Amino acid sequence: MANDKHIDKQGEVLTQEPLNPKQRSRRDFLEGAGATAVAGTAIVGTAIPGLGISTANAQQSNPSSNPKTSISLSVNGRRHSLQVDDNWTLVELLRDQLDLTGTKIGCNRSECGACTVLMDGKPVYSCSQLAVWADGKAITTVEGLAQNGRLSPLQQAFVDNNGAQCGFCTPGQLMTATALLHNNPAPNAEQVKQALVGNLCRCSNYSAIVEAVVSIADRGGVA
Amino acid sequence: MSEASNQLPEPFNIDGPLNTIGNTTARVDAVERVTGEAKYSRDIKLPGMLYARVLRSPHPHARIRRIDISAASSLPGVRAIITHETAPIVWGAGSVDGGRQYNDPTKEGTQQRRFIFNNPVRCVGDSVAAVAAVDRTVAEQALKLIKVDYEELPFVLEPEAALEPGAPLVWPEGNLCPDFRHNYEPMVSNLGDIDAGLAEADQIFEDRYETSFVHNAQMEPRCALAHWQGQKLTLYTPTQGISNCRHDTARDLGLEDHQVRVVCNFMGGGFGNKNQNQDADLVAATLSKAANAPVMLEYSRKEDWLGVHGRWPTVQYYKVGVKDDGMVTGIQMRGYSGMGPYRKNSGGISGMDAYACENRQRTIYPVYTNRTTSGNFRAPAEPHGFFAVESMMDDIAYKLGIDPVDFTLKNMNRPTEARPYTNFSLDECIALGRDQFDWATRRRVTPGSDEGPIKRGAGFSFMMFRAGVGTSSAIVRVDSNKMYTLFVGVTDIGPGAKTTMGMIAAEELGIPMSQLEVVAGDTDRCPYSVGESGSRTTIQTGYAVMQAAKDLNQQIAAKGMPSGNDVLIASATPVPTTDGKIRQCFGAHFVEVEVDTRTGTTKILKYTTVHESGRIINPQTAKDQIRGATLQGIGQALHENLLYDPASGQPLTTGYYRARHLTHLDVPEIEVTFIEVDDGYGPFGAKTAGEAGIILAPAAVANAVSNAIGKRMTSLPISRDKILQVLL
Repeated sequence: MANDKHIDKQGEVLTQEPLNPKQRSRRDFLEGAGATAVAGTAIVGTAIPGLGISTANAQQSNPSSNPKTSISLSVNGRRHSLQVDDNWTLVELLRDQLDLTGTKIGCNRSECGACTVLMDGKPVYSCSQLAVWADGKAITTVEGLAQNGRLSPLQQAFVDNNGAQCGFCTPGQLMTATALLHNNPAPNAEQVKQALVGNLCRCSNYSAIVEAVVSIADRGGVA
Repeated sequence: MSEASNQLPEPFNIDGPLNTIGNTTARVDAVERVTGEAKYSRDIKLPGMLYARVLRSPHPHARIRRIDISAASSLPGVRAIITHETAPIVWGAGSVDGGRQYNDPTKEGTQQRRFIFNNPVRCVGDSVAAVAAVDRTVAEQALKLIKVDYEELPFVLEPEAALEPGAPLVWPEGNLCPDFRHNYEPMVSNLGDIDAGLAEADQIFEDRYETSFVHNAQMEPRCALAHWQGQKLTLYTPTQGISNCRHDTARDLGLEDHQVRVVCNFMGGGFGNKNQNQDADLVAATLSKAANAPVMLEYSRKEDWLGVHGRWPTVQYYKVGVKDDGMVTGIQMRGYSGMGPYRKNSGGISGMDAYACENRQRTIYPVYTNRTTSGNFRAPAEPHGFFAVESMMDDIAYKLGIDPVDFTLKNMNRPTEARPYTNFSLDECIALGRDQFDWATRRRVTPGSDEGPIKRGAGFSFMMFRAGVGTSSAIVRVDSNKMYTLFVGVTDIGPGAKTTMGMIAAEELGIPMSQLEVVAGDTDRCPYSVGESGSRTTIQTGYAVMQAAKDLNQQIAAKGMPSGNDVLIASATPVPTTDGKIRQCFGAHFVEVEVDTRTGTTKILKYTTVHESGRIINPQTAKDQIRGATLQGIGQALHENLLYDPASGQPLTTGYYRARHLTHLDVPEIEVTFIEVDDGYGPFGAKTAGEAGIILAPAAVANAVSNAIGKRMTSLPISRDKILQVLL
């Protein structure tokens, strides 16, 4: 069973320490997440992924019986102290528990960038971060960009430049671009493309997005 | 260019912008899109909502001997499980003879029916069972407890191989898909006398082209939230046509249309794979009924890749007869379209109709295979067909020592007295593009003639594409506060339909956009609309909006503005015609590439597009439609493919990275110029724009690569390995 494998890995990595999800490496997590993605579609009959869910817990079926960890984090400036299931990803925490559905799930496997949020100011794929890893962090989502009902200059630039076609990748594009603009208030098109390379847009509205970000310098505003 | 004298008189070119139309206008829902307030289907939560997952076949072809759901059923938290035994529901739009997706009688007569769960399963990813449970984790655990006893069957992946004697049969009747009359015959169209045309030629050219399966790959994976209240079903689902989705879902579930409500306020792209209803809608509805609770079914990215559809792969054999002066005398094409195991769409291969040659024969074999299902993707029959036929013609032009643009001007379709057009501007598109691009300088008269390992070349393509008129509906209302409400059954799948409809209404009503609210995306609130497919929304629903607004204006003129609680309402369902004339949009693309012959890498240096799409309603969104579609076409030309392992029948490139989709860094500047014309048809003369750009890009890019390296590239995608191989 994968649970055994998980314990093996735990022993290997954490040398018999009790499982502390906050200490798990990203690689451990991604291996587990990959197994979920494959097994979730049941295309390949792999075993149950080891994401801290034991078979026994699953048999009890009550979601609240999953292993939990207490974390506290700030999301868009609001502090939250809460218990999270160890197998929740950050995007699940944001969307399902905090009702911040602006962050989108496009691939759930670090390919598309639709789920990008800022963690302590840096863009991360929230589909590939465990919620427990956000303990003590400051998270900003697309809902946190507008202040006091006023769009950020970048949001306004997206409105004016048709930065969103279907709009599904837009929150991710906005978050990565916001981080870029904090570091470089007047990027040129090439720098914007470099920064946003991890945010796919199948409408292929790439040029309009870049034009919107580049226009920020002329608007005299940071993101 | 003596043919040009055949042209009918041009209609008038339009003057400047109108009050609203022709002025770049921010989307009416732009703020929701940039703040995260926009609720897409998967963002909706209902009290007591369950989560659903689908079990899919790991085999390319297998008979299910037995499904044992006992262990899964007893897993606490599982609320419903359905299989082919317990839910034998026909998905009418999933397989329809001839691919006639909007034709109820054809659907009813279809014999090779696709169910929401099939036995045998006919491709990797074919649905086997579905589970609804209290949360995602339990649903996924339950899938793993379903025991399926498969008897593996032989499989076939390639369309030509599937038609060979002794090939594994995807369906007992054979692997050739039936036509819309339910006959097992290829699609044949004959014009003139192909034998005489080829006999008349001085030279005959023949070649084989092939194109790959290209997934629509919209950012929003498929999902569906089903909620029954008594005998009424509400579906929150990403669809490119709420009216069609409602009708198809009602038929498949044995309901009346009014018993189904489809809601889609925001939708994360589709490009053709969210037309009508999808099996996800039927699965969610059936699970919801069984579990007596709202059910949210979510597809993973990989499931979306394998369980929905992409553009059909093709093989195309051409035989073209040409006079020594470059006049084409006959075009013959035999094509094979890989439809996967179900005939979801036509399998069409267009392109040769763009030539005036009077002797043409086209034979297309739509073929069942054990690959994933093929279906509509933005201009369903066009990019692969235009790529092949325009590559063929480009090749012939160079072999005859003729500039491919001149060759085109000599041979392309033009209006005749027997075939009049509402207007024809292809000559202008080509002439303007040739100038803007500086074609004479960038093209290599001798292909592959650059010295050194890095070679440049230029390619050209042209197209004409349907912009026909048709019926749709709209309702507009005004209250005593002079606030107007437009009710249209559109969804904004990306091109901005809500905004476009609002702009047309505001123009006709003579009001600013701020005085107008657009209500869309809900079958219980909006009248019928044709759906966001076939480039029909702007032309058809837009025309209905215009007519409803005219009616309202007349009512206001006759009765005055309403007072108190009174309102005035106008509705329209016009059935416009083009008076027997052909109505098309036109375009020409010119591209310069640089190929590194050491690595096989292709880089785009310059890309010039000229389009005539009638009057442009919203300049910025129209431009971005052309840019986005062109980029998708570049991806099809250079990268995208769904590779299969021939030994196991397993798909290998099921995702963005694996299929190598374009990123920000791959994007060249796409120059867009519109030639604006009002031909007197459609809303204010607007024509097709959404699908137009993708039609030309694969042909233009392929021709440019061939011009650079001096070898004809006959297989899409033109990946690095293929370039290196032809240069060996």
